[in-house]
Order: sequence, then structure tokens, then C-alpha cells
Amino acid sequence: MAPSKLTPDQIPHPIGDNVHRVDAREKVTGAAVFADDIQFGPGLLFARIKRSPHPHALIKKIDVSKARALPGVKAVVTGDDFTGYIGLYLHDRYIFCRDRVRYVGDPVAGVAAVSEEVAERALDLIEVEYEPLPGVFDPEYGASPEAPLLHPNLGHYEYVNFIFPEPGTNISNHFKLRKGDVTAAWGECAAIIERTYHIPHIQHVPIEPHIAVAKVDDDGKVSLWGSSQSPFAQRSLIAHSLGISPSDVQVIAPFVGGGFGCKAGVSMEALAVAIATKVRGRPVKLRLTREEEFFCAFVRQGVTTHFKMGCDRDGRLLAMENKYYWDGGAYTEYGVNITRAAGYSCTGPYNVPNVNADSYCVYTNHPVGGPMRGFGMPEIHAGLEQCIDELAEQVGVDRVAFRKLNCIKTNETVVTGMTMHATGLEQCITRAAEAIGWGKKEPSSGPNKRRGKGIAVMWKAPAMPPNAGSSAQVRLNEDGTVTVKVGGQEIGQGSFTVAAQMAAAALGVPYDWVRVTGPLDTDTSPYEWQTVASRLTWSMGNAVAAAARDARQQILENVAKAWDESVENLDIVDGNVISYKSEESMSLKNIVIYGIPKPNDQGWTGGPVVGRGNFMPTYVTGLDPETGQGPRAVVHYTTGAQAVEVEVDTDTGRVEVLRGVTVFDVGKAINPDMVRAQMEGGFVQGVSTALFEALQIKEGVVQNPSFVDYRIATSVDAPVEIEANIVEVAQDDGPWGARGIGEHPMVPTIPAIANAIYDAIGLRPGSPPFTSEKIYLLMNPDKG
Amino acid sequence: MATHRITLTINGSTEQLDVPSNLTLLQMLREKLALTGTKNGCMAGECGACTVILNGEPVNSCMVLAAECDGADVRTVEGLAKDGVLDPVQEAIIDRGGVQCGFCTPGVLMSSRALLDRNPRPSDEQIREALLGNLCRCTGYLRIIDAVQEAARRSAAL
Amino acid sequence: MSIHAHPALPEFEYLRPATLAEASEFLAGHPEEARPFLGGTDVFVRMRDGFSNPRYLVDVKCLSGMDTFRFDPHEGLTLGAAVSMNRTAASPEVMAHYPLLAEACRSVASYQLRTRATVAGNICNASPAGDTIGACLAYDGVLQIHGVDGFCQQSLAGFFLGPGKTKLRPGDVVTGVRLPPPPKDAAGVYLKLGRNRQGDLSIVGVSVLGYTDPAAPSGYRFRITLASVAPVPLVAGEAEAYLSANQVTAEAICKAADLAAAACSPIDDVRGSALYRREMARNLTRKGLEQVWHSLNGA
Repeated sequence: MAPSKLTPDQIPHPIGDNVHRVDAREKVTGAAVFADDIQFGPGLLFARIKRSPHPHALIKKIDVSKARALPGVKAVVTGDDFTGYIGLYLHDRYIFCRDRVRYVGDPVAGVAAVSEEVAERALDLIEVEYEPLPGVFDPEYGASPEAPLLHPNLGHYEYVNFIFPEPGTNISNHFKLRKGDVTAAWGECAAIIERTYHIPHIQHVPIEPHIAVAKVDDDGKVSLWGSSQSPFAQRSLIAHSLGISPSDVQVIAPFVGGGFGCKAGVSMEALAVAIATKVRGRPVKLRLTREEEFFCAFVRQGVTTHFKMGCDRDGRLLAMENKYYWDGGAYTEYGVNITRAAGYSCTGPYNVPNVNADSYCVYTNHPVGGPMRGFGMPEIHAGLEQCIDELAEQVGVDRVAFRKLNCIKTNETVVTGMTMHATGLEQCITRAAEAIGWGKKEPSSGPNKRRGKGIAVMWKAPAMPPNAGSSAQVRLNEDGTVTVKVGGQEIGQGSFTVAAQMAAAALGVPYDWVRVTGPLDTDTSPYEWQTVASRLTWSMGNAVAAAARDARQQILENVAKAWDESVENLDIVDGNVISYKSEESMSLKNIVIYGIPKPNDQGWTGGPVVGRGNFMPTYVTGLDPETGQGPRAVVHYTTGAQAVEVEVDTDTGRVEVLRGVTVFDVGKAINPDMVRAQMEGGFVQGVSTALFEALQIKEGVVQNPSFVDYRIATSVDAPVEIEANIVEVAQDDGPWGARGIGEHPMVPTIPAIANAIYDAIGLRPGSPPFTSEKIYLLMNPDKG
Repeated sequence: MATHRITLTINGSTEQLDVPSNLTLLQMLREKLALTGTKNGCMAGECGACTVILNGEPVNSCMVLAAECDGADVRTVEGLAKDGVLDPVQEAIIDRGGVQCGFCTPGVLMSSRALLDRNPRPSDEQIREALLGNLCRCTGYLRIIDAVQEAARRSAAL
Repeated sequence: MSIHAHPALPEFEYLRPATLAEASEFLAGHPEEARPFLGGTDVFVRMRDGFSNPRYLVDVKCLSGMDTFRFDPHEGLTLGAAVSMNRTAASPEVMAHYPLLAEACRSVASYQLRTRATVAGNICNASPAGDTIGACLAYDGVLQIHGVDGFCQQSLAGFFLGPGKTKLRPGDVVTGVRLPPPPKDAAGVYLKLGRNRQGDLSIVGVSVLGYTDPAAPSGYRFRITLASVAPVPLVAGEAEAYLSANQVTAEAICKAADLAAAACSPIDDVRGSALYRREMARNLTRKGLEQVWHSLNGA
């Protein structure tokens, strides 16, 4: 009987399946190769970097002669050797400092030697004479006319057209938003809240520290191996800075042992390449120690946030006036876009008709701020969601109801004037509240314990240039397996796995037939802008699906010719081409390489099948520099809510997170278990930042650059239970309706915990981290 | 610096090496024997990425000198699977979704293996305690704890 | 500060003397350049951080007596210096007779670290944060030492002179800790406040041991030691004396806690402020005493 044509839903495919990761086995056997595992042979040299001990100083003199003379040292370089600027959105940084240093840790010289020990010893032999300058350690001060100028040349830096530096100041980006009439709106408000928060610097703490190995051949061609989220961006930025062609730079990126943003863009990789230019033909390995990791690559910049918000007596938000002063650090080539993203998303996921916002990126003599999971969203939601909580209380509206009333809904207008696409945010709030048992007070576990529940909501859009693109290639092999080539990196989030699922589904083959592997290689992998912004499932997924459909189309056309049928009656199911009309069936094996023989030995048709696809959003518009308004600020928003239950110990102030509920609208969960894994992992990282994490910086010097005193959540700190709940309201241009989830689960966690602490002890903790000391002194102000 | 001749067993195989005084066991494994499954996360005994089983007990190999290991028995992640058959802790961590970036995974597996060797039926609290020296930034730990429980159950069923 | 930490250990010579005599002689002969080590968990970190640069590291783990582990009802516990904290904590004898020591051991760092860390090492490292020191003081621990003049003993009381400083002389190798037979029906608790729920260094740590003492007017004796509140592990002598002299009531416990807090000289550092430490010294001493008192009274 002729198989009836299956509808897309009926065709078995792995979308929505909890398939095992493609890379699990090699990771559990120790076979998975990370950058420091690659064997380079006896010719490998090791690099170490001489770093500034001053937060701000002129470099008067560098003498490298003694270092150069140390046996085993093959090269010593300084900023004199490299004149080009480098940067992603703004070119404000040299590879090695040339005339001045701007943070403790700023690279001043580099050594390549036969061993890391010799290179390390050579550092002590490099003599640098500094003239210390007054430092800037606070962004509001840095933005004021009193502050010394850290980048006097700001007016001459190249930058992209969607950031707005203010030359003659320390402000490298000012995002401005003016909507409606805020002044008039205050008059209508029944309640107004004004609060300020100081969100400290934190660090990503990938368990694998940064590493780069660079080799420059005689002809100037560069090879760069590294732990990298962004091989193509690194190729482009480093090439530009060295004045060579991007195609002469090959970046090879194996598995990344944790990124969270710190391995995006260029942080330390250019140092290795620069040093390697002086030892042609030999690979040079540069590793950061854990101590350096805390402050010499990227950190998450601190920020001072001022909120003013008001609502009417029914709890309808009427106005917000938000000012964000970002402590961008010594170089803000990446951080400027965090400032912007925080600006255009400044209201949080709410419908607010009147908004004034100013988001300033300010140079300071602090470690370099870069992208970290959430890209400005955790930092602003930390305070914003505490204000919302307090405002709701002030007008006597339940805090869940307040959020549901005001949360942005499908087709409403967001703060930039864009129309909100379909979103399940309200559903997320309802589910989170229900799952935590909102309104029910649980008994505490002892006389000196207080329990409380809190909720917080969030939104985030992928923050990227309007033309960030993805591409993919789908190659069929003679044994029926499918090799999918991508440029998006596997950093643990499961991108290779979902790419395999999507290719399998779009092509019509079993999931197990699909191979997606690294390392990424800019010479052979198809282009991907960066693995950031929670964009891969959506953007790279679209490219992969397109490439798989392209391959499918080629196969069907080949078989249609061979069978003399029309393509409409053909399909690929489970790795076989089938005809709904004639009942014919043919395995994909062999034909996808060798083609299909014509009858009677009259030749062959078809041939090797290679599918290609790409995706680039075409509809993102600019925003008016004065008003921040525009038709389409971003591609889309992922929204969600978290609720937590905490218990506070009144003897010590210790906060314990007992339970978490995390609910996000992901559009479509390609792999629901992996989506839940992101939600759990992000939640615990959020808990860690809420309770423990801060880089303690005094006069520019990080006081706690080690695991001893920069604490992160361990297995005993994870809550007993995390309920991860998926909402699916399809994204119109997402593959199978999917949108991203990687960053979002750590965005609302700080305020959810803050609001739960308030529920427990009746006091709002304010700025994180909510250490036991902070909470104890909050409860016992007479002691302070 | 003097070198020390050491003879030791690694994953059941005898090795003899000459090592300088200041070479850690971690460096010896990774740099002298190309056993790169064991990872370097901090060189300070804090993160647990370098965990191996030394004479039956889990240690941070970055805190052990190679020179101290003459006559020692060392098990690393490469030695967990037998003839291609994964150890229950490896299988369970895959099944429970306890692997993401994979960098902490070798250390987690060795700590877990050592735990189940000394306590075949640990409680969740005992698992948490045993693993608190293995930092993970990706998973949030619950699936790892779950995986160890699952491995314990499967081993008991054998 | 560790912003200057090196990627690996600096150069040094690893030595493993065959006998205690050899070890003591070498150490005494190279007082500035040589130091003994057991697990290395403290010394390796300090060397990589650049705070310590010994030319010789002398491995004393395998010397005679270092591995001893013996409990005798009349002699008490002889804990060789090389016995790991894990082994100590898991020992049925320690759990039965010196449970405060077992609890203190279990609170240290991670399981991996405790495979290498030792109680003797914790004592010799002489950090005011040393977690097992309070228990050893409470149990009247005595150090067994081998020096250039042979064997001797040293009471733990008064052993600590400052952060990282003890009464040990060049050539001294601690071979073990002896804890005399414990008081009958003692109860103890180690309350350690860190940042993480477990496994951290202490912001403040309080060891409390309580037992009946017919010689005391109150009928009880309490041993109270505080970690991380002074340059050395702090024995709260006034608080102890108060509870010996006065009937043990809730008020007396609070008063003792106040005395313990007053005895502290905490500092501000990255882990906590002096103010908070003093508060925690008081609160945790009170809690510890309450718990021990509760245990002593048939709960």
C-alpha cells in the first residue's frame, strides 16, 4: 500500500527529543581535546606577560635587555612593536600598552621562552619605569568633569555607528532614550520609588582558564589555537590590528571549558599572536593562571544604577527614569554594547509609556569589562526588580499581580517603540508563582530562621550588530552519515547537539546519523559571527536547517530525475528517499556521493551532495540617538520568571536558597532536557552571584583574585530542588519556533533572592552580594 | 635541581620516569605522559579539575609532587572505562545530563568513583560533601548528584 | 598578595631523609633554607604565591612513627603526624572518643585536600583559622617532637606565638599529636561560619567541648577556642573560667559568649569585617554552648 504522505508532525524527527549530547562520551573518557591538551611537539615555546602594577600610569621607559639575554628566552616584545589598535565595537586598545597603562594587569611586555618557568623568570628581568597618574575608580566620578581623562584620544578612535562616544570625557558610549513625557507622568503617579544600586564587578570563572597558542610562519601566515567562543571575530580583529588580511589568520578552536562570554571577542589571544610574530615558525603557548584569570582577561563590569519609577493607584506603571553608570574598565571596546543593550532594554520586560533613560559607559582604571552571560541584563534587573517589588507593595498590589498587569504582552509597544512579538511571559509568571506556592508561608526550620519567597521577571534580546550572520554546510557521506559543519562553538550549552537534531529533522535522517564536531577552524568551518548572545539555536539553527533543506532538495531532485517523478511526491524519512506515489524507496547511502546510475548503463546522475545555508536578520533598524526610538531595535526577546524560597539565619545572616523555580519562554525546546539544564545551571550561577561573588577592588587592585577568596557555589550550596519549566510560544523566524535560553536563566536570580529575603525578614538587601555579613548588619543596624 | 627516578602504576600500567623536584603529579600526567584527561584549573588545590585517585584515595594532583609518587598507584579518568565499556559513573553522568562543557567532568568522575568505592550507597548529602571540592560552573550540580545516585543504584543492581 | 602567583612551583630540592635523626640534622643545619612538609597543601600554595621560597623541601611523611594510629584507654590517642584528616575523621576510635576532632577534620576544605592534609600539619601551619586546633586544645593535645636533641613533648597550650609562628625550633619535626584519654561523657561541637555552606576557610570558627568536672563550682568545665578572631587560635579563658565558677544557665551562657567576644581581636579582611567577626564570635559561642549544654543534659 502506498504510504500516505506524512504531515511534518508525523514524520519522526528529533525536535523536542531529549537526545544524548553528541560530545558526551568523549568528555567522560577524557578524550575530549581542549586547547591545552593539543600536543605541539618539542618546538613549543611558552609565553608570559609582564603586567602593570599600577592602575594608571605613564610608561617612561622599558628595558628588556636583561630579559632578552636570559638563556632560553627567544623573544621579548613591547608595545613599541605593535602600533595597531584592536577592538570589537570601538578601537581603543593596543595589544601591548604603548604610552600608558590603564589597569593593574595591563600588558606591558611579553616573553617567549623554552619553558613557562624561564619565561616567568624573564619577567623579573624586565625593568619598567612608570609615572603613576591619579586613578578613576568610580564610574559616576569618571563621568564627571573633575575626573582625569583616561583616553584623551577618544575622539580619534574608530567605532561602529550604533555607539555614541563623547570625546573629551571618559564616556565611551552614551545611550539615550526619551519616550513620552516623564515629567508629566510623575504627577499622575500614586506611588514613586527612587533607589540606587551598586552592582560589583564579578568574573565568569570558567573552570578552564584562558589559553592561546599562536604560530606565525615565515610568510606571515598566522595560526591561532585557543579556547574561543569567537574564532571568526578573533581572526578579523587580530588581522585588522596587525595590518594583515583575515584570510591569512587561521583560528582553530576546540572544546571550550566554560565561556560565559569571557572567551568571546579578543581578550588575551592577540598577545600570543603578537609574541609569535617574533619567533617565526614556532608555536607559542600563553596560558593565564587562575589568579590572572580573575582580572587580566574579561570581567563583568560593575555598574551604579539609579532607578525612579512610578505607578497609578491600580498599579499600572506610568513612568521610569533610569540612569546607568557602567564601570567599563580600562578599555570598553566590547563593553560599549553592554551599555547600549541595557539602554534599549532599560525598563525590564514591562510596558511603560513614559521613559527617560541614560546609560553611560565610563572608562575607569579597573579590569576590562566584557561580555558576561546576560550582557547587562543581570546588572540592571538586580535593582529594577527590587524596585518593582517595592512599588507594588507601596500601592498595595500583590507583587505577582503587579507583574502580570504590567508585563509586556504580545503586540504591545516596548520602550524603543518596537512591537513585542508573541511572548509567553505572563504564563511564565503564573507558572513560577504557582510552583513556588506563592502566598503560602512555609514554617521555618528553627527558632532562629526566617523563610521567604520572592519572584522576579526578565527579558533579554541578543545584543549584536544588526547584521550578525550564521552559515552552515551539510555534507552527506557514503555510509549515510551526515557531517554538519558550523562556525558556532560548543561551550557546554549543547550547540553541536541541537545542530545535529535540527539537521536530522530538516533532512529526514535519524539523529544518530548526524555528526557535528569541532574543532572549529576558520579555514574550513562556515562563518559564524560569535557564540554569544544566546543566538546559536536561533541563528545558527536557521542556517543549519537551511543547509539541510538545501541538501534535501538536491537529493530529491536527483532522485526525482532518476525515478522520473516530481519532487512533490518524494520525501526523505528515516534516511530513505521514498515516493508517496510509486512506493519506491532508496537509501541515502552511496547515492549522496556516487550519484544514481541511469538504467542500462547509460551513465549516472546526481553526485556528491553538499547543502549550504545561511541566516542573517535583515530587519533590525537603528535607533534615534536622541530618543532611542526605532522600528525594530532587536531581533526578539526571550522572557521568563524565577521564584525562589530562601531561609535566613538570624544568628549569622546566612541566606540559604532552599528551592528555585525557573520558567522561560523558549519558543520551542529543541532538546527540552538541555534547555532545563541551562535553566538549572544559570540559576545556580545566579545564586552564586547573589550570595558570594564580588571582585573586591581597592585603588584598582583586586584583593581576592583566587578561589580562596573569590567563592563560587559548590555542590553543597546548590538548592535541594530546582524546578525548570518550559513555556513555548513560537518565535516567528526561529527554527521550529525556537529562540535562545543560554543567558537568561541567570538574569532574574539576584532580585528573586533579594525579594525573598525581604519576604523573610522585612528588609530589602539592595546591592549584591547578599553575604551573611551584609544581611546580619541589615537586620542589626545598631551594631554597625 | 636534582631529578628523581620514580616507578609507579598508572591505570594499571607501570611507568618509570625521571622527574625534577618541582614537577607536580598533574604536570607529570599531562606533560610527560600526554594523559591530558586530567585538567589544570587553578594549580592551588581549590577547583578539583585535577582530581585523580592516588593509592585508592582522591587527591588534587596539582598538590602532589611527582617525586613523592615512587611506588604509587594512580588512576585517572582515562582508566575508568574498561575495554571500551564505560564505568557506571561515566554512563550515569551522560544519562542524567551532568556534562556540559566537560572541563570539570574528569575530576568529578574521579571524586565520584572514589566515593562509591568507599561508600556504595551514599545519601545526597554525602554526595554533595564528597564533591564540594569539584567546582562546576555549568551544570548547577543537581544532575551530577543525581548521576552519582544513579551510578550507585546501577552498581548495586549488578 | 596572590596577583603575582607563578604558573608553577619554583625550583627546589625534594629530599626524603631515611631517619628522623637525618631529618632533624639537615633541617637544623639549613634553618633558613629547608622546611619539612607532610601533605604540602599549605606550603605549595605559599611557594607558588611567592610568599615562601625554601631551597629544600624535606618530606617527613615516611619517617618512623609518622604513620602511627593508636588508641589506648589509658594513653589516649596517638595520632601520627602523617595520618590524613580523612583517616582521622573516619576512625571509629576518634568518632567514639574525640568526636569534636572528627567534626573539625570533616569541616576542612574538600575530601581531596583532606587526603593530604593532616592534623599535625594544621597545627604546625599555625594559622589562626586552623580548624582542628581548637579540638586539639580542648582535648589537651600534646605534640610529639623529634629535634636535634632527640624526642620531646610540647603541650599545645602556649604553642602558638603568632600567625604562622610556633615554638618549634630549627630541626624540630612533629612526629605526632597525643590526645590524653578524653573526659567521660564529654560533648562537643565545632561551629564554623564560612561563605559557602561547607568547605570554606572560617570567617569565624568556634570549638566548644563540655564535660562534668566535680572540682568546678558549677560542676562543669567548658573548653572554648575561637578561630579567625585573633593572631592565634584563641582560647576564651575568661569565658571558660566564668562557666566553671558560675551555675550554667541561659544567662551564664550569654555572659560567657560576651566574654569570648570581648577577648577577640579580629581584623577587617576580604572575608569579613572585625565588627562582624566579633558579633559572630559571640553568637556562635552562645550557640555552641547551648548545643553542648543540651547534649550534656540528656538530650
